[in-house]
Amino acid sequence: MQTLDKPTTLPPSTHEFAEIIHRLEAGGAMLPDSPENLMQIIGIYKAYAVPMDFYWRDLLYIAENVFLNPLPFFKYFLPQEYLDLHNHYAGDDADLRIWRGEATAHPELLEFMEKGETGKMPKLFHHLFHDRINMEFAEACMQAMLWHGRDMGWGQFDGYLDSDEYRANADRAIKAYLKYNPPMLALYKLFPDMFLEQCRMMSYTANLGLFWEVMAPVFFEMSDIFDEGGFKGVPDAMNFLVNGIFAISGRPIYHHVYVRGECFEIIPKSKGFMWLYEAALPYVEAVFYRTAPFRGTKSYNAQAGQVPTEQKDFHYGILYADVFPVGSAGIPPTLLMQDMLHFLPPYLVEYYQQHCRGEDDMLIQLGITFQRSMYCVTSAVIQALRQALLYPLDDPNPKHLMANRAFFEAQIDRFKRPEARLRDVQSQNYR
Amino acid sequence: MLLSLLIWLPVLGAALIGFWPQNLSEQWVKRLALIVSTVLVGQTVWVISQFDLSQSGFQMREILDWIEPLGLSYHLGVDGLSLPLVVLNSLLTWIAIYSSPAKTIRPRLYYVLVLLVNTGVTGAFLAQNLLLFFLFYEVELIPLYLLIAVWGGSKRGYAATKFLIYTAVSGILILAGFLGLTWLGHASSFDYEAVQTVVSTLPLVLQVLLLGVLILGFGIKTPLVPLHTWLPDAYVEASPPIAILLGGVLAKLGTYGLFRFGLGLLPEAWKSIAPLLAVWAVVIVMYGALAAIAQHDIKRMVAYSSIGHMGYVLLGGAALTELSIVGAVSQMVAHGFILALLFYLVGIIETKVGTRELSALNGLMSPVRGLPLVSALLVLGGMASAGIPGLVGFIAEFLVFQGSYAVFSWQTLLCVVGTGFTAVYFVILLNRTCFGRLDSALAYYPKVVWSERFPALLLAVAILFLGVQPYWLVHWSEPTTAAMAQMAAAYETAPNLMSVKAVAQSFTDLTNRDSLSTNL
Repeated sequence: MQTLDKPTTLPPSTHEFAEIIHRLEAGGAMLPDSPENLMQIIGIYKAYAVPMDFYWRDLLYIAENVFLNPLPFFKYFLPQEYLDLHNHYAGDDADLRIWRGEATAHPELLEFMEKGETGKMPKLFHHLFHDRINMEFAEACMQAMLWHGRDMGWGQFDGYLDSDEYRANADRAIKAYLKYNPPMLALYKLFPDMFLEQCRMMSYTANLGLFWEVMAPVFFEMSDIFDEGGFKGVPDAMNFLVNGIFAISGRPIYHHVYVRGECFEIIPKSKGFMWLYEAALPYVEAVFYRTAPFRGTKSYNAQAGQVPTEQKDFHYGILYADVFPVGSAGIPPTLLMQDMLHFLPPYLVEYYQQHCRGEDDMLIQLGITFQRSMYCVTSAVIQALRQALLYPLDDPNPKHLMANRAFFEAQIDRFKRPEARLRDVQSQNYR
Repeated sequence: MLLSLLIWLPVLGAALIGFWPQNLSEQWVKRLALIVSTVLVGQTVWVISQFDLSQSGFQMREILDWIEPLGLSYHLGVDGLSLPLVVLNSLLTWIAIYSSPAKTIRPRLYYVLVLLVNTGVTGAFLAQNLLLFFLFYEVELIPLYLLIAVWGGSKRGYAATKFLIYTAVSGILILAGFLGLTWLGHASSFDYEAVQTVVSTLPLVLQVLLLGVLILGFGIKTPLVPLHTWLPDAYVEASPPIAILLGGVLAKLGTYGLFRFGLGLLPEAWKSIAPLLAVWAVVIVMYGALAAIAQHDIKRMVAYSSIGHMGYVLLGGAALTELSIVGAVSQMVAHGFILALLFYLVGIIETKVGTRELSALNGLMSPVRGLPLVSALLVLGGMASAGIPGLVGFIAEFLVFQGSYAVFSWQTLLCVVGTGFTAVYFVILLNRTCFGRLDSALAYYPKVVWSERFPALLLAVAILFLGVQPYWLVHWSEPTTAAMAQMAAAYETAPNLMSVKAVAQSFTDLTNRDSLSTNL
């Protein structure tokens, strides 16, 4: 995707966020282009990518192996097999090598898993002391996708979960999984839908795992490029994301379950569910925009109309969230912030030490940086959609440019509501 | 010499700071003042160690003739009523100096004035000569006026002038009362004991009148509703360290005066109007609490809370039982600690957040960007003020209620209801200030460093410790307050003006009978 230097031929936008519309029309992002913003978003991408490397591996492990375990106490205890699992977009044997690093689990992740914050001790203690990667965040994101996915009616993935074919595939896998467990089998006979719904959740677990399997090497690579002095500004970083999105947009989304060594294809790769439409876009919609109205200390009274009646009007995602840590899973991303804190690049730590309360409120500072970075990712998604559905930014036809503008304005309309942090991220003083 | 040192050490310190020949940096001025006040605290501890708990009267007396024809002597002494207040004064002066901003205009004058206020207050608590008390009482007036007028908030001029006028009137009334007591009683001097011995010879009506004058005088200082209107302005406009002194110590000068000179010199008159005082106490408690509920400024809310709590002191004094009086004295000390803590915390909130408005404050309990420890201590202060068990406020209020119920049952019950209202406004304050959601887009408050937390922690420890170990609160004053209660109890029935006539008549009859028997 190209960044335009010449001014648009259209008259100025009269939108409330006209400046941002013009920036998008010029190939920029919703986030202002400044060296400080660039440094922050790339730094946080790196810090995000390390726990994400754990998230995708564990999500796939849960979806493929833990599956319907009624007491999944050890689902966050990632077996070596999944730590060694090769990322399809990193390493020498990658399908498409996005990151130049290793395909197995990131060294910083392995080091943290061994020592944590407290020191070296058995994995169980790390788990019980919560001195570990907070998978609860990943599962909360998956649940947001599942819940909103049922409502969105986008793509074909969610619709497939209600098809007879899916039911038949799931039935085979469930019966095989419960083969030596008569009580559970009896339960399945009595309440098949309950098990099927659990299976749908596992399918979304696989969906998110496959989505993040792509994003982790993208973020690692962006960090490496930045360290090498490769990005000149925020639009460069955004364009890298847009190009990445298109490069792997066709990656299949599937759900395989392994029972005693046998593979059950609940959602086969052959269904052709594409990464961009069945994973990336639903994820952005569910997690960045919608999620759920449970933001820690803020209480919502649904009966008083404080919660929208339509799910599509939910606005509790990271682009709207107050990132003050409240200890809950999901958004605000308290647990993710805690995870990212362990893997901040030194330049970002130094930056945070110079602002607000320094180390004392680093968690919030990095949370707000994360919010900025997600505005950049959302910009990339908006630009990618525009590129896929509409016209190039340098299209000579004014009608096409007007169509682009209408698209941008419709997207930005979602940030008109007072909770949106779009206004805040325009200023560097929002920390 | 021990007591004189308490009075004159701050003067020496003030002179040292004021007349230091070379330029002193702000830091050094504060350090010097802090050294003086630390020595003062040490000196106070020494006085405590020398205090004999078995005695109810004055101890460590120092008597020096000064202007004999006027009846003015330098007569000092300490008893169970004044000792806790002297300790409170020393400690709160130290905290006020410690918590004063590092950078302030005219630092030399500021710390000189704070030390002079300490001298005036300590002198008043220790003076055993009425004129000497009056002199010390007036000494603290001008420094405090200046401390509000120069270092106060935006309406400091108005608040300081109002404070000056009210307190000057208070001084005039007290002086009139003292002169009346001494001259009408034909006392040989203004010495406390000299006046005490002659007061009983005065007719009860006159005693009641003189008591009324004294109650008005000290009532302004305390202040008692409706003489309180200077207080909210002065407390709110004063800088936090000065508000600590005003609320923590200065108000106690009024209640001390009521007990020392109202109850101590005129017990009979006091007892005769005690029911009236108890009703007045109810009005004060209710008014203070309801007015506090209506406030939108947290400092003003604490100020009205202070007014309400003075009602408990008055109720305890009115009931005149051993328990109620010791409760009233305990309430003075408890109130001093609690109010100092609350004003200190409100000061920190104002400095860090930039507002005292309830509508603007929210979520300060937030652990990362809020003021979590300040909020936690504010909760503690609010609970102590509302009389939650385990904290010093409960001990004092419970003693007052327990001691007063048998004498003024419905008044006491209404005051208990007033405690409920205290809980109401503190819940409002805490709920809006500490709880709720702190918006990350607004909250860029500076961190509260440990040196800022220290005074609040010190006060919180005192509130907690005295709450679980009330013996350390009450045993200093118990002998003295017991003696006061016994003195009042000497007037068996709660007398009124009619019954006094009957007593006088019976006394005359008895005298006649004696003379008759002699004749026989």
